[in-house]
Amino acid sequence: MSSLTERVIKLSVLRAIALYTTLIVMAWFALFPILWALSGSLKKEPEVTEPVLFPPHPQWSNYGEVFQLMPFWRMFLNTVLYAGCVTAGQVFFCSLAGYAFARLPFKGRDVLFVAYLGTLMVPLTVTVIPQFILMRTFGWTDTPWSMIVPGLFGSAFGTYLMRQFFRTLPKDLEEAAILDGCSPWQVYWRVLLPHTRPAVMVLAVLTWMNVWNDFLWPLLMIQRNSISPLTLGLVNLQGEYTSKWPVLMAASMLILLPLVVIYAVAQRAFIRGIALSGFGGR
Amino acid sequence: MIVREKIPAPSVPPRTAHRSVLARRQATAGRIFVAPNLLAVAVFMLFPLGFSLYMAFHKWDMFTPAKFVGWANFHRLFTGDPLFAIALRNTIAFTIGTMVPAVVISLIVAATLNRKIRGIGVFRTILFLPLAVSTAVMAVVWRFVFDTNNGLLNIMLGWFGIGPVPWLVDPKWAMVSLCLVSIWKSVPFATVILLAAMQGVPEDLYEAAQIDGAGAIRRFFSITVPLIRSALSFVLVISIINSFQAFDQAYVLTGGHGGPQSATYVFGIMLFQNAFAFGDVGYASALAWVMFAILLVVTVMQLRFSRRNSLEQ
Repeated sequence: MSSLTERVIKLSVLRAIALYTTLIVMAWFALFPILWALSGSLKKEPEVTEPVLFPPHPQWSNYGEVFQLMPFWRMFLNTVLYAGCVTAGQVFFCSLAGYAFARLPFKGRDVLFVAYLGTLMVPLTVTVIPQFILMRTFGWTDTPWSMIVPGLFGSAFGTYLMRQFFRTLPKDLEEAAILDGCSPWQVYWRVLLPHTRPAVMVLAVLTWMNVWNDFLWPLLMIQRNSISPLTLGLVNLQGEYTSKWPVLMAASMLILLPLVVIYAVAQRAFIRGIALSGFGGR
Repeated sequence: MIVREKIPAPSVPPRTAHRSVLARRQATAGRIFVAPNLLAVAVFMLFPLGFSLYMAFHKWDMFTPAKFVGWANFHRLFTGDPLFAIALRNTIAFTIGTMVPAVVISLIVAATLNRKIRGIGVFRTILFLPLAVSTAVMAVVWRFVFDTNNGLLNIMLGWFGIGPVPWLVDPKWAMVSLCLVSIWKSVPFATVILLAAMQGVPEDLYEAAQIDGAGAIRRFFSITVPLIRSALSFVLVISIINSFQAFDQAYVLTGGHGGPQSATYVFGIMLFQNAFAFGDVGYASALAWVMFAILLVVTVMQLRFSRRNSLEQ
């Protein structure tokens, strides 16, 4: 009897070891490019050929050189500005429209909603050229407007997300307010919006990430360094200093870091948003 | 026992007038609240959509007036431009080379992560991390990893006496590199979806199967896979759509021209070059619509196929 339990324990220990080994191998594959880049960012230029993960003399000066070779803080502020404006706009307009689509009936509302959702199927490739021409017609190419305005007034995905969330809120919440004579705007702003925090988090984190990581649109729109976002700045830097690996890796780390921090803090909202949207695959 | 008497509802005075005022107020507010979104979608989505179709039948360089050319752009795509066939072949190779490994790997990863063991949260956090990083930035990092002389991959392969592999230099390996980069980025996404679906599979099914003597692998293929089929099909469709339009990684990894020797010349690069480097907007728009059409057909076929499969079960 006891030998049987021993055998079972031994087997489960073996199984646990196998499982954790598998997990560690997987985690290694997910992390190694980032870790290798981190290690490269601290090496001297001739050292990058050496297969050492922990450089014996970390060269923090590589990070200093990033700030000399590219106007990093300027680009950082640009990116924060673009991401901040678009995120604020998305949260506001998507929640407002989501509330209307969930709770304010008007003629043709549901048809409109389905049609709006249908625009999610239009691929980026079809719209990107006319959008570029539109921006040129407005005279917005190479200005911050081109980075902010197209995303400012909400999106089909965000509206869908917010509508679904508003529908889960109990109706009593607003009924009392309506009886008290609150206008639809007051019901939205004072009563319901404070309850939508989880959905707002998902939308905000996802929008921020998309703007922060976007590359094609800034590549088309922005020429000047002074209004360039970080991704574009890095790719341009790479074009100029192809072989300055340590500095390039340091710059990459500096751009990745803020999002990794957001990811670590708002992980749940992040994962939920990815699962909901199917955005992350790009 | 005391039977409580039902209190009759207080007779409400006819408030239909009030009701309809409220309804009208709500309807007006509703229209105003959705207006900004709909206006934006009209300007930045519907108008571009129509304009793109219009341009596909015109020759236009963005400066001189557009000239109607009928089907000439499409004709040139299919018969006059050898690069179209190359881009099509490369895009298909890239899509398959990314999607198949990514789905297989993420099935394994999701199944491994779907265990209630200590520390699993930490592993999930690490394994989902690639979702947060920019494709363009990571492509710069990957260039460093793929570097023929200094890259980590060749150093590691060297330990086993392999290589050095000319990752981004040799046409054959360049496509493999591009696929590897995209697999790294798409596995976490597919894993998130598949893991969420796996967590919805009722526990007692596994217990019943275990009692019947089904092993872990058997349980995976006869319980998990059939029950997460719709998530699997969603992952497939999204992967196809994303791979088909891939641009960032190809642009950064191989210098924006689809090199070496057009080995990474995919549709995304072809579209970008024709529209923004050669200024042939009409031709690029025709290409965009061909891509859209191919995507639609593939997606519909994929959905049909997975539906029929699930009906047969």
